[in-house]
Amino acid sequence: MIELKGLVKQFGDLIAVDGIDLVVPRGEFFAVLGPNAAGKTTTIKMMVGLVKPTRGSAVVAGYDIQQNPLKARERLAYVPDFPFLYEKLTPLEFMRFTGQLFKIDHDRVRKEGEQLARRFHLDAFLHKPIEGLSHGTRQRVAIASALLHDPEVFVIDEPMVGLDPQHARIVKDILKERSQAGMTVFLSTHQLSVAEEMADRIGIIHQGKLIAMGTSEELRRQSGQDGALEKSFLRLTTETESAVTHP
Amino acid sequence: MDPGDTNSEPHRERSAFALLAGVHLKQNWRRLEAVLLQSKLLSVTVLLFIVGYCWLSFALFYRAMRFVGAFPGLGDLLVERMIFILFAFLFALLLISNLVISYSNLFRNRETNFLHCLPISPNAIFQWKFLESTVVASWAFLFLIAPLLVAYGLVEDVDWTFYPVTVFMVLMFVILPAIAGAWSAIGLARYMDRRFFQYTTLGLGVLVLVALAFWLKPDVVTDDMLETRVMLVLDRLLKNTQFSQFAFLPSYWLASGVISWSEGAISATGFFMLVMLSYGLFWGRFTMVMAGSPLYEAASAVQSRGPVASRWKWVQWLDRGKRNRSKAWSPGFLERFFGLLFWMPPDFRAVLVKDVRVFWRDTSQWGQSLLLFGLLAAYIVNLKNFSSKLNNPFWIHLISYMNLGACSLNLATLTTRFVFPQFSLEGKRLWIVGMAPIGLKKVIGIKYTLACLISMSLTGILIFMSCHMLNMPWMQIGYFTFVIAVMALTLNGLAMGLGVIYPNFKEDNPSKIVSGFGGTFCLVLSFLYIVGSIAILAVGSPWREQTVPWVVALGWGSFTVLSLGLGLIPYRIGINRLRHMEI
Repeated sequence: MIELKGLVKQFGDLIAVDGIDLVVPRGEFFAVLGPNAAGKTTTIKMMVGLVKPTRGSAVVAGYDIQQNPLKARERLAYVPDFPFLYEKLTPLEFMRFTGQLFKIDHDRVRKEGEQLARRFHLDAFLHKPIEGLSHGTRQRVAIASALLHDPEVFVIDEPMVGLDPQHARIVKDILKERSQAGMTVFLSTHQLSVAEEMADRIGIIHQGKLIAMGTSEELRRQSGQDGALEKSFLRLTTETESAVTHP
Repeated sequence: MDPGDTNSEPHRERSAFALLAGVHLKQNWRRLEAVLLQSKLLSVTVLLFIVGYCWLSFALFYRAMRFVGAFPGLGDLLVERMIFILFAFLFALLLISNLVISYSNLFRNRETNFLHCLPISPNAIFQWKFLESTVVASWAFLFLIAPLLVAYGLVEDVDWTFYPVTVFMVLMFVILPAIAGAWSAIGLARYMDRRFFQYTTLGLGVLVLVALAFWLKPDVVTDDMLETRVMLVLDRLLKNTQFSQFAFLPSYWLASGVISWSEGAISATGFFMLVMLSYGLFWGRFTMVMAGSPLYEAASAVQSRGPVASRWKWVQWLDRGKRNRSKAWSPGFLERFFGLLFWMPPDFRAVLVKDVRVFWRDTSQWGQSLLLFGLLAAYIVNLKNFSSKLNNPFWIHLISYMNLGACSLNLATLTTRFVFPQFSLEGKRLWIVGMAPIGLKKVIGIKYTLACLISMSLTGILIFMSCHMLNMPWMQIGYFTFVIAVMALTLNGLAMGLGVIYPNFKEDNPSKIVSGFGGTFCLVLSFLYIVGSIAILAVGSPWREQTVPWVVALGWGSFTVLSLGLGLIPYRIGINRLRHMEI
């Protein structure tokens, strides 16, 4: 599970994240939406321990990411929007490397790796250098490698970028399955349809604050807008903007 | 089998450091394989260049040491002092190099960010990155001093033990600036804004260069003084170099160790080796164990920092136009400046303005050029301090050709570093520049013209100044200025042409584009062109004591053919490739 308590991040004079409190229980699929520069990525960076919070704390899988970073990261997987991969390795070598970093038994790496490669349609690319793969294939390699150690918490930033509809479907299905099996998923996206389809709950971050949270139906009620989630999102973010501009 | 391969091994837990080492070894091995497969001819050329460089630098060091060593009564002293000075400057350069490389490797590197998200301790991340930075920062130093030390060994007629002992001492030595550079990088990242640091460093660099230009003035020596009190005079002449013999400088330990061993003073060498070993072990161990936590703090601080400069009043004052809506869209200084070139089509001017802006805003790019040309300028300004005593035409001539060599080598560094990657970078932005009605061919032409104008102005001024400092007649000043202009046209043509022939559209980072095969080939060809041209021009110089007209004509003819061939042919091939290029 994920527990964010009064999370604040200040960049110089700018408050990028302004006191976020959030609990995502075990097995929940949580999606976070927000306009550009709302503070989503900064929140994620604090959650995975890349950036220290100015105030507050982030607890991942029962461990404070600042106090017990290694324990937390053993149970966590993070896939950024442009994941880093070793260009001269093959996907198979990269997955084996990731498995060894997480101290997974060799046989388990092979078994899990084979399954993931099959599910993500990576079999044909397993022995090709990563540098020659398309963006979508790289994205699949990154997600498959991140799932290899069977993380308790999975944090992913814009997972569908570069994926064709078929592979986007596969990624969605696998994440949903894992979530139902107990993995907590924290997904950041601009694609409202993805959030609406996949998430148990959706949070909207705007100007560093978590301005709304709930199921898509609850968000519609909060915004007073029926129909597409887009309307609710625009309404909620515009309202906050006017409140800040004209207090 | 690839190095670092684990396919056939049964599972056993490996440390993160060993895993990272294995992965990087495998990656580098494959890079090398790819380079060898790309073109055997080019690989052999690069190999020959490396061998040629080592041989040439060895020959130059050897002859220089022999020449200086033959100075009656003072030879050994001068050679020793040269070794001390050289190691002191190399130590300073290693420090800077380690600082810069550690900073980018620890805080501007995607792999480091990736590793921070994995269950690897910050200490293990630091240990790997430290090793990587040390190798990257120090290989050029080892490449530079290897021929020097071999030459020194031969001049001093040492036995074989000198070489392994020296290798051991050098390895212990490079650890020390690496540790200092890594801690400085962590400290700077933790407490200083990057841009603020860049500007401060550049400002300090310029100040140091100006100070050097005025500080390194040798005393005036009369013939009477030389006849009576040689040692005293020598001490006065070399007083500015005494800093290199400061006993707490690691370069002093290395130089003393090397010199002592060559003189057979084994216990003295042992002492200096132990000093380096104890410092290396203590600080090495301390760093390996303690740097992880500050590394994480600093990495977090780097990602958390707002731009410092935007908080300064004077920056806000300078930027006031950008905040004023009515002025925000009005042409800036560069647009107005290039607008004066009214005969030039607006799309040409737009590309020029864009290129100048991009260059100016990338501090690391012009910072390196400033450092290179600043050092050269400081040297040239200092020429006046001894040129008044220089009456022998042979020496004036020799120095003028060496100045031409130094300027053109700087120019080659500039063209390879900045002009070569231009097309690759533009290819990345093809959606806007390549699709515009101006066409890539014209874009390449504009870039070539701009690069030529800038490099010709810079090197022309330097060569003009150096000739002027040597009190050369106007005819000769004109000659050397013209030669450097021709070399600028050639080197820019070569870099631009090869940049189009060997593009790399995958990389955003110009320094990585340059470090590929095309960039290396460009550097090799530029170097060979410079060495060849200077040799041809020096042999066919019209101001030699015994001038043979046909030799002069042949020299000029060969230089013209060489310059036209190397400047024009790659450029034309590149432009032809553009027509059929699929990006």
